[in-house]
Amino acid sequence: MEMKTIKFVINGVKQELRIPPWRTLLEVIREDLKLTGAKEGCGQGECGSCTVIMGGKSVNSCLVPAMEADGQEITTIEGLKNGEELHPIQEAFVEHAGMQCGFCTPGMIMSAKHLLDHNSDPTLEEIQEGVSGNFCRCTGYTKIFESIDAAAKSMKGGR
Amino acid sequence: MSIFFRRLPKFNYVKPEKFSDALDILRENKDGRFRVYAGGTDVIPKIKERVMPAPETLVDLKGISQLNYISHDEANGLRIGALASIHDVSQAPVVREKYPMLAQAAASIASTQVQNRGTIAGNICNAVPSADSAPALLCLGGKALCEGKEGERMIDLEEFFLGPGSTVLGDDELLKEIQIPSAKGKGVYIKLSPRSRMDLAVVGVAVFADVEDGIFKDVRIGLGAVAPTPMRAKTSENRLTGESVGDQVIEEAAAMAAEEAKPIDDHRASAKYRRMMVEVLVKRAIGQIISH
Amino acid sequence: MEDYSVIGKRIPRIDGLAKVTGEAKYAADYEMPGMLWCKIARSPHAHAKILNIDTSRAESLPGVKKVLTGKDFKGWKWGWMPKTREEEPLAAETVRYLGEAVAAVAAIDEDTAEEAAQLIEVEYEELPGVFDPEEAMKEGAPQLYGHAKNNISWDFHMDFGDVEKGFKEADLVHEDRFETGRVITGYLEPPAAVAMYDSSGITIWAAKQSPYFVYRHLAACFGLPLSKVRVIQPFIGGGFGGTKNDSLAGDFCSVLFSKLLGKPVKFVYTMEEVLMTCRRRHNMIVFNKMGMKKDGTITGMHSRVIADGGAHTAIGPLTMYLTGCMSTLPYKLPNFKHDAYRIYTNNPIGAAMRGHGVTHTRFAAELQMEMMAEELGIDPVAVRLKNAISAPYETINKVTVKSCGLVEGIETIADNPVWKNRKEKKQEGPIAHGVGMSATSYLGGARQRGHQSCAAVIRLCEDGSVDYLTGASDCGQGSDTVLVQMVAEELGLAMEDVDIKRVDTAMTPCDAGSYGSRVTVLAGEAARKAAQDVKQQLAVFAAEKWEAKPEDILFKDRQVSVKGQPEKTMPFEQLAKIACYSGSGAVILGRGYSDYGIDVLDFEKGIGNCGTSYSFTSQLTEVDVDLETGFLKCTDMLIAHDCGVPLNPINVEAQNQGAAMQGMGQAMYEAFKMDHGKTLNPTLLDYKMPLATDIPNIEVVDIITEDPDGPYGAKEASEGAIVSVPPSIFTAVHDATGIWFKEQPLTPEKIAMALREKKKNG
Ligand SMILES: Cc1cc2nc3c(=O)[nH]c(=O)nc-3n(C[C@H](O)[C@H](O)[C@H](O)COP(=O)(O)OP(=O)(O)OC[C@H]3O[C@@H](n4cnc5c(N)ncnc54)[C@H](O)[C@@H]3O)c2cc1C
Ligand code: FES
Ligand code: FES
Repeated sequence: MEMKTIKFVINGVKQELRIPPWRTLLEVIREDLKLTGAKEGCGQGECGSCTVIMGGKSVNSCLVPAMEADGQEITTIEGLKNGEELHPIQEAFVEHAGMQCGFCTPGMIMSAKHLLDHNSDPTLEEIQEGVSGNFCRCTGYTKIFESIDAAAKSMKGGR
Repeated sequence: MSIFFRRLPKFNYVKPEKFSDALDILRENKDGRFRVYAGGTDVIPKIKERVMPAPETLVDLKGISQLNYISHDEANGLRIGALASIHDVSQAPVVREKYPMLAQAAASIASTQVQNRGTIAGNICNAVPSADSAPALLCLGGKALCEGKEGERMIDLEEFFLGPGSTVLGDDELLKEIQIPSAKGKGVYIKLSPRSRMDLAVVGVAVFADVEDGIFKDVRIGLGAVAPTPMRAKTSENRLTGESVGDQVIEEAAAMAAEEAKPIDDHRASAKYRRMMVEVLVKRAIGQIISH
Repeated sequence: MEDYSVIGKRIPRIDGLAKVTGEAKYAADYEMPGMLWCKIARSPHAHAKILNIDTSRAESLPGVKKVLTGKDFKGWKWGWMPKTREEEPLAAETVRYLGEAVAAVAAIDEDTAEEAAQLIEVEYEELPGVFDPEEAMKEGAPQLYGHAKNNISWDFHMDFGDVEKGFKEADLVHEDRFETGRVITGYLEPPAAVAMYDSSGITIWAAKQSPYFVYRHLAACFGLPLSKVRVIQPFIGGGFGGTKNDSLAGDFCSVLFSKLLGKPVKFVYTMEEVLMTCRRRHNMIVFNKMGMKKDGTITGMHSRVIADGGAHTAIGPLTMYLTGCMSTLPYKLPNFKHDAYRIYTNNPIGAAMRGHGVTHTRFAAELQMEMMAEELGIDPVAVRLKNAISAPYETINKVTVKSCGLVEGIETIADNPVWKNRKEKKQEGPIAHGVGMSATSYLGGARQRGHQSCAAVIRLCEDGSVDYLTGASDCGQGSDTVLVQMVAEELGLAMEDVDIKRVDTAMTPCDAGSYGSRVTVLAGEAARKAAQDVKQQLAVFAAEKWEAKPEDILFKDRQVSVKGQPEKTMPFEQLAKIACYSGSGAVILGRGYSDYGIDVLDFEKGIGNCGTSYSFTSQLTEVDVDLETGFLKCTDMLIAHDCGVPLNPINVEAQNQGAAMQGMGQAMYEAFKMDHGKTLNPTLLDYKMPLATDIPNIEVVDIITEDPDGPYGAKEASEGAIVSVPPSIFTAVHDATGIWFKEQPLTPEKIAMALREKKKNG
C-alpha cells in the first residue's frame, strides 16, 4: 500500500515523514523519530505509558493513527526540558521518589503536565483522577501524588 | 495458531473534509471495506487484536469539523455532534447543568486520555451492553440523527441497538447527531465497577424522574451491562409512574427492574449478582433523586 | 547509630534524571542496523500432541528469513534444578498449556513477522486436560508427564515437634480451608530483547531482573563457555519475580535466529501475551489446622498446601519450600507439620512473585489465629503479643533471628487511636467501616547455596572518582542508589563520585539476581567490603606519606586524614593520584563478596536459614464496605516495618507503599478467570490492578533494629508488606461485616453474596 506524507511539529521541531497509513503515532515517535521516551506497555489504551500531548490534549499514542498527526503539534517527554533545565514536574518526580522502575514515568509526567496545564491547583482527588489512566505497578502511586502536588506548588511559585 | 499482535494490519486511510464526501465513500461499502471512526478508542484496539477484520480503508471522520459541537436551546433540547468528545460532553456547562446524569456517565468512561479522544457517538455506535452513555441517553429519550445514501432518518435510541456490537445503522450510514429533548426532572447515573476509574461497568443504572408534590410524574430507568443491549426497564417505570413516593413502591419497582434485566454470567460477574445489583442501584438512584 | 554522611539519608534516586527525561533506555528501545524481528506463534490448545508443523506458507512470505520449530533446539530443555529440566524453548512434541510457544518467525520487520506467524500451520491432536489441582491429584486424571504420578510436580514435607501432642494440649482446634488467587507480578514493561550471535559469542540486551539466569541458560542451550555469553542490562521496567527471573521462548529463538542468519534479532512481547502466557504466582489451597490454649498460646499447626503449578516446574520447588520454612515465624510454634504439594495442571506456569511462597501460608495462619482468638474471647493484639517472638530466637526448624521489631510494631498499631477506638463502629447508610491488623516476617538476603553469594569490584580512577561494578540488578527497587550510598559512605565520598555500571556479564562479577530481598543485604555487603579493600590499599600510601599506621587513616567528606592529627589531611583526589601514579604502577582495584557463611540448609527437611536476616511487619488497615453492593474500599493503612536500619528512608517508604498496593490488588481485585486453561481476562482493563483512584492513605513507620548481619544493620524492605496486606484487609472486612472470608480475592460479589446468605440465616 501507498506510503503517505505527514507534516507536524514535535517538541518544537518540524518534521516531514513518509509512512505507511497503518502506523500508530507511538510507532512513528519511537521508531521513525527515535524518541523512545514514550513507552508501549499495553498497546491498547489501558496503561497510559504511551501518553503524549497532541493539540493540547493528552492521548494514548498507541491508539492514534499516525496519519492524524498531520498538521498537529505534539509534545513528548523529551520536549519538557528547557535546555539543561528540568521541567518542575520532572524535578519534583526526582526529588519526591515519584518513580521506581521508571517505565510508567514518561506517560505519568505527560498526564501530570496535561492536568497542571488545565488546573494549576489540583486537590489530591483531582490529581488522582488526572493520572487514573496511567498504570504504575511499582510505586503504589502515593509518591507520584506527592510529586505532582509539589510540582504544582513550585510552578505557582513562578518558577 | 495463537499470535499476540503488536502491529496494526495494513489498511489505507482517508480523511474526508465534508460530510457528503464521507457519505460518497460509504456508498458502496459492504463487508467492512470501509470503516469509519471518530476517536478510534474502540476501533483501533479491535483492529489491532484482530477481533475486527482490517478494513481496506479507515475513514477518519475528524476532518469534518462541522460535526464537532454541543448545542442547546429550550425548544429543541441538547444536540451532540458526532465528533463531540466524551471529555467535552462531560465538561460542557449546559450538560452539567441540565443533563447532569449524562455528564456523570461521560465522566465515568475510562481515563482522561480516552475521554479526550473518544466520542459519545462512538460509544453509541460501538453498541456494547456496558456502554456508559447508553443508559443515560435512553432515559433522556435520546434520538440519533443518521444519514446514508437513502437520505436522513431519525432513530429513537430505544430502537437503535440490535445486540452486542450491532446497531440498525446500514453500512452506508453515518450518525450525525444525538438529540436529547428538554425534559423536566432529575437524573442519576450509577456505575458499578471494581475500580473507581478505567473500568467497565458490571452494572450501570440510570434513573430519570420528575417528582411533583410527592408523586412520580415521569420515571425512566435505563440499564447497562445486564442484557444484550442497553435497555429501559419499562415495567418498573410503569409501576412507579403516577404513584406517590414511598418505600414500598420503590422497592417493588426495583425488584421489577431486576426481573426485567437479562444478564449473563461472564468473567466480570455472575448473572445473579448483576440482577441483585440492579435492584440495589435502582433503589439507590431513586433515593438520590427524591432526596434532592 | 553512627553518624553517617549518606547512609540513612533521604537521597534521591541516582537514576531519577534518566527516568524523568525519557533518556533511560529499556530493552525495547534498543535497535541495531540490519536488525530482524522475531515473533512467537503459540498453541491454541491447553494440552495437545503436535502431529505436524507446516512452515512453508510462512517461509514463502516476502521478507521472512526463517521459521523455527521445537526440533531446531534438538531436545534441549531447562529447569530450575537438574531434575526438573522439562521446559523447551519451543514445544517439540507436546503442548501443556494454552499459549505455549511452538514456532517462531524471523522477518525484516515486525509486521511481516506477525503476518507470517499466522501462516504457520500446526496439526494437533487434542489431549484431555486437567485444570484444577485437586482434580489433577486424583487417580485417573489426565497426566501431564509420564514420570509424575498423580501430577505431583514437587512435594515437600516438614515435621517438627509432635503436632498431634500439640493439638491434644490445645483447648481449641480449628481446621479451615483457605485459598489464594491466580495473580501475576504485573510489571508494566513487557519482556523484550535484542540478541546478537557472532564470532565473539552471544550478546543480548534483555529485560531481566536476574541476568545471570539467562546467561547460564544461553550458555547451556548453545553449548558455549560462559565467557562467550554477554548479557547487557538495559533499564528494567519492573520485575517482581517469576518471568523476568527466567528465560523465555523469545530469548532462545532470537539468539538462534541470529546464529543462523548472522543478524541482530529483536523481540517484544505484548501485554496480553504476558497476562495470558507468562509465569504467575501459584494459586494455592491451604488446609490449616491450628491448636490454641485458652490463653491464646498456639500449641501446634499442621498445614496441607496444594498449589496449582501449571504445566512446568520452573522455580516451584523453592516456592513450596518457602510456604513451609517461614511458617515458624513470626509467632512461637512448638509443634509444626507441613505437607506441600505442587501439582501439574494444564494452566500457565506458577512461579515466584514478591512475597514468594510465604504469602499463602501466612494468610491462612494469620486469619485462623485471629478466628480462634475471637472464639476464645481474646483480643487480636493480645493473641499476637502472646505468641510473638523476640530476638534472639531460634525456631523449631532452626531459623535464627538476631533482630526483631515485631512486638514494637504490634504495639505501634495497638497504640494508634484508630485501633483504640475501633469499637466505636461507624456505619453511614449502607457503608460499614472496619479496622483490621496483621503481622508477618519475611526473609532477607536469600541464600541457599554458594553460587548465591554476591561480589563487587571497585576501580579507583586517578581523579578520585570510582567505578563500581556489581552483578546486582536494579529493576526499579532502588538498589543501585542504596549500593552507591554504601560505597560512598565507606570511602568518604559523595554520591556523585561513585558511578555504578549496570550489569554486563562480560565485566561485572556474577550475581544471583534480584529476588528474595537479597540485593541490599548481600550485594550491599559485597560493595562495602570492596570499598574497604580500596580503602586499605589507599591507606598504605597515606600511611607511608605521613608515617602513620594504615589503620589510623580516616576517609570522610572527600578528605583523608590521620586519626587524632587533623593537620595531616589531604583531599581524597590527591591520595588517589599518589596511589595511581606510584612508581610501581599501582592498580587500585577493590574486591569484596558477601560472606555470612553458608549455613547448613537442609532443603529436603526444611531446616535452617534460607535468608540472612528477617524483617517484621505489623499492619493496621481500615476499610469501608458497602453492605448492599459488597464494594470494598481500603481507606487507610499503617505499616510498621522493621527493616533493620533504613539506609534510605524515602526509598524504604516507597518500596513499602508499592508492595502494599500490590498486596491490596491481590487481596481485593486481581484474579485470572480461567476456562479450560484459557485466560478469559488477559488485559489490563479486566485483570484489575489498583489505579491512582483506588489508593488508600498509606503511612509507613520505621521500627528500627540493627541487624548484626546486615550492612549498616539493614534488612529487607517490602516483601513483608506485600504479605501483611491481605490478612489485614480480611480482618478489617470481618470487623465490618462479622464474616470470616477465607478466599482471595475478596470481590464485591463474594461479599454481597455472603452478606445475603448471612441475612437469610438470621
Ligand atoms: C482502555 C479503554 C477503556 C474504555 N472504557 C470504557 C468505559 O469505561 N465505558 C465505556 O462505555 N466505554 C469504554 N471504552 C470504549 C470507548 O472508549 C468508548 O466506547 C468510546 O465512546 C468510543 O468512541 P470513539 O469515538 O473512540 O469510537 P470509535 O472507535 O471511533 O468508533 C466506535 C464505533 O462506532 C462507529 N462510529 C463512530 N462514529 C460513527 C459515526 N459518526 N457514524 C457511524 N458510525 C460511527 C465506528 O465505526 C466503530 O464501529 C474504553 C475503551 C478503551 C480503549
Ligand atoms: S501503551 Fe498506550 S495505553 Fe498502554
Ligand atoms: S515506576 Fe514502575 S511502573 Fe511506575
